[in-house]
Amino acid sequence: MGLPSPREEFIAGSREVAASLVGTIPFGLVAGVAAVAAGMTPAQGIALSVLAFSGIAQLVATQLIAAQSPLPITIAAAFVVSLRLLMYSAALAPHLAHLDARWKWLISDLMTDQSFASSVRRFSEPGDGRHRHWHFLGSAVTLYATWQVAVVAGVVAGAGVPAQWSLDFVVVLTFIALLVPVVRTRADVAAAVVAGSTALIAAGLPYRLSLVAGSLAGIAAGMAIERSRRRP
Amino acid sequence: MNAWLAIAGVGVMTFLLRASFIVFADPQRFPHFFRQALNFVPPAVLAAIVAPGLLLSQGVLDLSLANPRWIAGGLAILVAARTRSVLAAIVSGMSTLWLMQWAMG
Repeated sequence: MGLPSPREEFIAGSREVAASLVGTIPFGLVAGVAAVAAGMTPAQGIALSVLAFSGIAQLVATQLIAAQSPLPITIAAAFVVSLRLLMYSAALAPHLAHLDARWKWLISDLMTDQSFASSVRRFSEPGDGRHRHWHFLGSAVTLYATWQVAVVAGVVAGAGVPAQWSLDFVVVLTFIALLVPVVRTRADVAAAVVAGSTALIAAGLPYRLSLVAGSLAGIAAGMAIERSRRRP
Repeated sequence: MNAWLAIAGVGVMTFLLRASFIVFADPQRFPHFFRQALNFVPPAVLAAIVAPGLLLSQGVLDLSLANPRWIAGGLAILVAARTRSVLAAIVSGMSTLWLMQWAMG
Protein backbone atom coordinates (compact mmCIF):
# COMPACT_ATOMS: atom_id res chain seq x y z
CA MET A 1 0.00 0.00 0.00
CA GLY A 2 1.38 3.36 -0.98
CA LEU A 3 1.12 6.61 0.90
CA PRO A 4 -2.43 8.00 0.54
CA SER A 5 -2.46 11.40 -1.18
CA PRO A 6 -3.77 14.51 0.60
CA ARG A 7 -6.85 14.31 -1.58
CA GLU A 8 -7.54 10.69 -0.63
CA GLU A 9 -7.10 11.51 3.05
CA PHE A 10 -9.46 14.49 2.76
CA ILE A 11 -12.19 12.41 1.11
CA ALA A 12 -11.78 9.59 3.62
CA GLY A 13 -12.14 12.05 6.51
CA SER A 14 -15.18 13.63 4.95
CA ARG A 15 -16.81 10.23 4.39
CA GLU A 16 -16.13 9.13 7.90
CA VAL A 17 -18.13 11.93 9.51
CA ALA A 18 -20.93 11.82 6.91
CA ALA A 19 -22.79 9.22 9.00
CA SER A 20 -22.89 11.52 12.03
CA LEU A 21 -24.38 14.44 10.07
CA VAL A 22 -27.88 13.12 10.84
CA GLY A 23 -27.21 14.23 14.42
CA THR A 24 -25.42 17.44 13.39
CA ILE A 25 -28.27 18.84 11.29
CA PRO A 26 -31.10 18.81 13.87
CA PHE A 27 -28.66 19.97 16.56
CA GLY A 28 -27.59 22.92 14.38
CA LEU A 29 -31.21 23.76 13.57
CA VAL A 30 -32.02 23.81 17.28
CA ALA A 31 -28.98 25.98 18.07
CA GLY A 32 -30.16 28.47 15.44
CA VAL A 33 -33.79 28.44 16.58
CA ALA A 34 -32.67 28.81 20.22
CA ALA A 35 -30.56 31.88 19.42
CA VAL A 36 -33.49 33.72 17.87
CA ALA A 37 -35.94 32.48 20.51
CA ALA A 38 -33.58 33.87 23.18
CA GLY A 39 -33.86 37.31 21.68
CA MET A 40 -30.64 37.48 19.66
CA THR A 41 -30.74 39.10 16.25
CA PRO A 42 -30.15 36.74 13.29
CA ALA A 43 -26.71 38.33 12.79
CA GLN A 44 -25.79 37.64 16.41
CA GLY A 45 -26.96 34.02 16.21
CA ILE A 46 -24.90 33.40 13.08
CA ALA A 47 -21.84 35.26 14.44
CA LEU A 48 -21.90 33.14 17.59
CA SER A 49 -22.02 29.98 15.49
CA VAL A 50 -19.22 31.06 13.13
CA LEU A 51 -16.97 32.06 16.03
CA ALA A 52 -17.71 29.34 18.58
CA PHE A 53 -18.53 26.40 16.23
CA SER A 54 -19.63 24.31 19.19
CA GLY A 55 -23.24 23.30 19.82
CA ILE A 56 -22.86 23.04 23.57
CA ALA A 57 -20.98 26.33 23.96
CA GLN A 58 -23.50 28.07 21.68
CA LEU A 59 -26.54 26.78 23.56
CA VAL A 60 -25.08 27.62 26.95
CA ALA A 61 -24.02 31.09 25.80
CA THR A 62 -27.46 31.61 24.25
CA GLN A 63 -29.24 30.71 27.49
CA LEU A 64 -27.03 32.97 29.57
CA ILE A 65 -27.30 35.90 27.17
CA ALA A 66 -31.08 35.46 27.30
CA ALA A 67 -30.93 35.46 31.12
CA GLN A 68 -29.03 38.79 30.93
CA SER A 69 -26.10 37.24 32.78
CA PRO A 70 -23.03 39.37 33.42
CA LEU A 71 -20.29 38.89 30.82
CA PRO A 72 -17.78 37.06 33.09
CA ILE A 73 -20.44 34.51 34.14
CA THR A 74 -21.46 33.87 30.53
CA ILE A 75 -17.87 33.26 29.47
CA ALA A 76 -17.11 31.16 32.57
CA ALA A 77 -20.10 28.87 31.95
CA ALA A 78 -19.18 28.41 28.28
CA PHE A 79 -15.59 27.78 29.41
CA VAL A 80 -16.57 24.96 31.78
CA VAL A 81 -18.67 23.16 29.16
CA SER A 82 -15.87 23.60 26.59
CA LEU A 83 -13.03 22.25 28.73
CA ARG A 84 -13.02 19.02 26.79
CA LEU A 85 -11.56 20.95 23.85
CA LEU A 86 -8.43 21.41 25.97
CA MET A 87 -8.19 17.65 26.32
CA TYR A 88 -8.56 17.17 22.56
CA SER A 89 -5.90 19.80 21.94
CA ALA A 90 -3.45 17.97 24.19
CA ALA A 91 -4.21 14.62 22.54
CA LEU A 92 -3.77 15.91 18.98
CA ALA A 93 -0.75 18.15 19.58
CA PRO A 94 1.95 15.42 19.26
CA HIS A 95 0.53 14.38 15.86
CA LEU A 96 0.60 17.93 14.55
CA ALA A 97 4.01 19.03 15.88
CA HIS A 98 5.63 18.77 12.42
CA LEU A 99 3.13 21.15 10.75
CA ASP A 100 3.64 24.87 10.19
CA ALA A 101 1.79 27.54 12.19
CA ARG A 102 -0.90 28.10 9.56
CA TRP A 103 -2.01 24.46 9.72
CA LYS A 104 -1.97 24.48 13.51
CA TRP A 105 -4.20 27.55 13.65
CA LEU A 106 -6.56 26.13 11.04
CA ILE A 107 -6.89 22.77 12.79
CA SER A 108 -7.41 24.45 16.17
CA ASP A 109 -10.11 26.65 14.76
CA LEU A 110 -12.07 23.74 13.29
CA MET A 111 -11.80 21.17 16.06
CA THR A 112 -15.01 19.49 17.26
CA ASP A 113 -15.93 16.29 19.09
CA GLN A 114 -16.60 14.33 15.92
CA SER A 115 -13.57 15.43 13.89
CA PHE A 116 -11.37 14.85 16.91
CA ALA A 117 -12.72 11.33 17.37
CA SER A 118 -12.33 10.36 13.72
CA SER A 119 -8.88 11.91 13.23
CA VAL A 120 -7.39 10.59 16.46
CA ARG A 121 -8.31 7.12 15.22
CA ARG A 122 -6.64 7.80 11.88
CA PHE A 123 -3.53 9.31 13.48
CA SER A 124 -3.02 6.27 15.68
CA GLU A 125 -3.07 3.78 12.79
CA PRO A 126 0.33 2.34 11.83
CA GLY A 127 2.17 3.49 8.71
CA ASP A 128 3.33 6.76 7.17
CA GLY A 129 1.26 9.56 8.72
CA ARG A 130 2.61 12.48 6.68
CA HIS A 131 -0.71 13.46 5.08
CA ARG A 132 -3.08 12.58 7.89
CA HIS A 133 -3.82 16.17 8.80
CA TRP A 134 -5.76 16.21 5.51
CA HIS A 135 -8.00 13.53 6.99
CA PHE A 136 -8.76 15.91 9.86
CA LEU A 137 -9.41 18.73 7.40
CA GLY A 138 -11.82 16.59 5.39
CA SER A 139 -13.90 15.71 8.44
CA ALA A 140 -13.71 19.21 9.94
CA VAL A 141 -14.66 21.13 6.77
CA THR A 142 -17.60 18.78 6.15
CA LEU A 143 -18.84 19.30 9.70
CA TYR A 144 -18.25 23.06 9.64
CA ALA A 145 -20.17 23.57 6.39
CA THR A 146 -23.07 21.35 7.47
CA TRP A 147 -23.24 22.93 10.92
CA GLN A 148 -23.31 26.51 9.64
CA VAL A 149 -25.97 25.76 7.01
CA ALA A 150 -28.12 24.09 9.68
CA VAL A 151 -27.68 26.99 12.12
CA VAL A 152 -28.53 29.58 9.45
CA ALA A 153 -31.63 27.55 8.53
CA GLY A 154 -32.59 27.48 12.21
CA VAL A 155 -32.05 31.22 12.59
CA VAL A 156 -34.14 31.93 9.48
CA ALA A 157 -36.91 29.52 10.53
CA GLY A 158 -36.60 31.02 14.00
CA ALA A 159 -39.91 31.81 15.56
CA GLY A 160 -41.68 29.97 12.71
CA VAL A 161 -41.17 26.64 14.47
CA PRO A 162 -44.19 26.03 16.73
CA ALA A 163 -43.35 25.43 20.40
CA GLN A 164 -45.56 22.30 20.38
CA TRP A 165 -42.92 20.54 18.27
CA SER A 166 -40.69 20.59 21.36
CA LEU A 167 -37.64 20.86 19.09
CA ASP A 168 -35.56 21.91 22.09
CA PHE A 169 -35.81 18.31 23.31
CA VAL A 170 -33.57 17.26 20.39
CA VAL A 171 -30.75 19.03 22.24
CA VAL A 172 -31.30 17.02 25.42
CA LEU A 173 -31.47 13.80 23.38
CA THR A 174 -28.25 14.67 21.57
CA PHE A 175 -26.53 15.19 24.91
CA ILE A 176 -27.91 11.85 26.13
CA ALA A 177 -26.38 10.13 23.12
CA LEU A 178 -23.04 11.81 23.88
CA LEU A 179 -23.27 11.09 27.62
CA VAL A 180 -24.04 7.36 27.55
CA PRO A 181 -20.81 6.20 25.85
CA VAL A 182 -18.52 8.31 28.10
CA VAL A 183 -19.87 6.75 31.32
CA ARG A 184 -17.64 3.68 31.55
CA THR A 185 -16.15 3.37 35.05
CA ARG A 186 -17.61 3.70 38.54
CA ALA A 187 -15.90 7.06 38.84
CA ASP A 188 -17.67 8.20 35.64
CA VAL A 189 -21.01 7.10 37.10
CA ALA A 190 -20.27 9.07 40.27
CA ALA A 191 -19.33 12.15 38.23
CA ALA A 192 -22.55 11.95 36.21
CA VAL A 193 -24.89 11.24 39.15
CA VAL A 194 -23.41 13.95 41.39
CA ALA A 195 -23.35 16.48 38.53
CA GLY A 196 -26.98 15.75 37.59
CA SER A 197 -28.25 15.87 41.19
CA THR A 198 -26.34 19.06 41.97
CA ALA A 199 -27.69 20.71 38.84
CA LEU A 200 -31.23 19.80 39.95
CA ILE A 201 -30.73 21.02 43.52
CA ALA A 202 -29.14 24.24 42.29
CA ALA A 203 -31.84 24.84 39.66
CA GLY A 204 -33.06 27.93 41.49
CA LEU A 205 -29.75 29.78 41.19
CA PRO A 206 -29.71 32.76 38.83
CA TYR A 207 -27.85 32.91 35.51
CA ARG A 208 -28.01 29.14 35.03
CA LEU A 209 -25.23 28.79 37.57
CA SER A 210 -26.64 25.31 38.27
CA LEU A 211 -24.80 24.09 35.17
CA VAL A 212 -21.42 25.28 36.45
CA ALA A 213 -22.13 24.09 40.01
CA GLY A 214 -23.24 20.66 38.77
CA SER A 215 -20.25 20.27 36.44
CA LEU A 216 -17.69 21.18 39.11
CA ALA A 217 -19.33 18.96 41.76
CA GLY A 218 -19.38 16.06 39.29
CA ILE A 219 -15.72 16.48 38.37
CA ALA A 220 -14.79 16.56 42.08
CA ALA A 221 -16.86 13.42 42.77
CA GLY A 222 -15.23 11.53 39.89
CA MET A 223 -11.75 12.46 41.13
CA ALA A 224 -12.59 11.48 44.71
CA ILE A 225 -13.75 8.00 43.64
CA GLU A 226 -10.72 7.60 41.39
CA ARG A 227 -8.39 8.45 44.28
CA SER A 228 -10.05 6.21 46.84
CA ARG A 229 -9.84 3.33 44.36
CA ARG A 230 -6.11 3.80 43.85
CA ARG A 231 -5.36 3.93 47.56
CA PRO A 232 -4.71 0.41 48.96
CA MET B 1 -24.40 45.53 22.94
CA ASN B 2 -23.60 43.19 25.82
CA ALA B 3 -24.65 40.30 23.59
CA TRP B 4 -21.99 41.17 21.01
CA LEU B 5 -19.32 41.27 23.72
CA ALA B 6 -20.43 37.88 25.02
CA ILE B 7 -20.38 36.43 21.49
CA ALA B 8 -16.85 37.70 20.87
CA GLY B 9 -15.72 36.51 24.30
CA VAL B 10 -17.11 33.01 23.83
CA GLY B 11 -15.54 32.86 20.35
CA VAL B 12 -12.08 33.84 21.60
CA MET B 13 -12.35 31.51 24.60
CA THR B 14 -13.28 28.43 22.56
CA PHE B 15 -10.47 29.15 20.11
CA LEU B 16 -7.90 29.47 22.91
CA LEU B 17 -9.02 26.14 24.40
CA ARG B 18 -8.70 24.41 21.04
CA ALA B 19 -5.34 26.00 20.25
CA SER B 20 -3.94 25.61 23.79
CA PHE B 21 -1.64 22.65 23.25
CA ILE B 22 -1.58 22.52 19.46
CA VAL B 23 -0.27 26.07 19.05
CA PHE B 24 0.96 27.33 22.39
CA ALA B 25 2.04 24.72 24.94
CA ASP B 26 3.79 21.40 25.30
CA PRO B 27 1.38 18.65 26.41
CA GLN B 28 4.22 17.12 28.45
CA ARG B 29 3.86 20.03 30.84
CA PHE B 30 0.27 19.08 31.52
CA PRO B 31 -0.09 18.58 35.30
CA HIS B 32 -1.31 15.12 36.23
CA PHE B 33 -4.00 16.49 38.53
CA PHE B 34 -5.46 18.53 35.70
CA ARG B 35 -5.40 15.66 33.24
CA GLN B 36 -7.32 13.58 35.76
CA ALA B 37 -9.91 16.31 36.27
CA LEU B 38 -10.42 16.65 32.51
CA ASN B 39 -11.33 12.97 32.26
CA PHE B 40 -14.48 13.71 34.19
CA VAL B 41 -15.51 16.81 32.25
CA PRO B 42 -17.62 14.97 29.63
CA PRO B 43 -19.75 12.84 32.02
CA ALA B 44 -20.15 15.69 34.53
CA VAL B 45 -21.02 18.48 32.08
CA LEU B 46 -23.34 16.36 29.98
CA ALA B 47 -25.19 15.01 33.03
CA ALA B 48 -25.55 18.53 34.43
CA ILE B 49 -27.28 19.51 31.17
CA VAL B 50 -29.36 16.34 30.73
CA ALA B 51 -30.78 15.93 34.26
CA PRO B 52 -32.62 19.28 34.42
CA GLY B 53 -33.74 18.84 30.80
CA LEU B 54 -35.50 15.59 31.74
CA LEU B 55 -36.64 16.07 35.30
CA LEU B 56 -37.58 19.74 35.62
CA SER B 57 -40.89 21.08 34.43
CA GLN B 58 -41.29 24.85 34.77
CA GLY B 59 -38.31 24.84 37.12
CA VAL B 60 -39.77 22.23 39.51
CA LEU B 61 -38.81 18.57 39.90
CA ASP B 62 -41.53 16.57 38.14
CA LEU B 63 -41.40 12.76 38.04
CA SER B 64 -45.09 12.31 37.28
CA LEU B 65 -46.68 11.09 34.07
CA ALA B 66 -47.63 14.68 33.31
CA ASN B 67 -43.97 15.26 32.42
CA PRO B 68 -43.32 13.05 29.38
CA ARG B 69 -39.71 14.21 29.04
CA TRP B 70 -38.16 11.95 31.65
CA ILE B 71 -39.93 8.93 30.17
CA ALA B 72 -38.91 9.77 26.60
CA GLY B 73 -35.39 10.56 27.84
CA GLY B 74 -35.16 7.36 29.87
CA LEU B 75 -36.07 5.37 26.80
CA ALA B 76 -33.48 7.27 24.77
CA ILE B 77 -30.81 6.39 27.37
CA LEU B 78 -31.58 2.68 26.91
CA VAL B 79 -31.56 3.06 23.12
CA ALA B 80 -28.27 4.98 23.20
CA ALA B 81 -26.69 2.36 25.47
CA ARG B 82 -27.70 -0.42 23.09
CA THR B 83 -27.09 1.19 19.71
CA ARG B 84 -24.47 3.91 20.42
CA SER B 85 -26.28 5.87 17.73
CA VAL B 86 -27.12 9.57 18.05
CA LEU B 87 -29.83 9.24 15.42
CA ALA B 88 -31.51 6.28 17.13
CA ALA B 89 -31.56 8.18 20.43
CA ILE B 90 -33.10 11.27 18.80
CA VAL B 91 -35.70 9.34 16.80
CA SER B 92 -36.80 7.14 19.73
CA GLY B 93 -36.88 10.04 22.20
CA MET B 94 -38.72 12.48 19.93
CA SER B 95 -41.30 9.96 18.77
CA THR B 96 -42.00 8.93 22.37
CA LEU B 97 -42.37 12.57 23.41
CA TRP B 98 -44.68 13.41 20.51
CA LEU B 99 -46.74 10.29 21.07
CA MET B 100 -47.20 11.06 24.77
CA GLN B 101 -47.99 14.71 24.10
CA TRP B 102 -50.52 13.68 21.50
CA ALA B 103 -52.10 11.07 23.83
CA MET B 104 -52.39 13.65 26.60
CA GLY B 105 -53.95 16.13 24.21
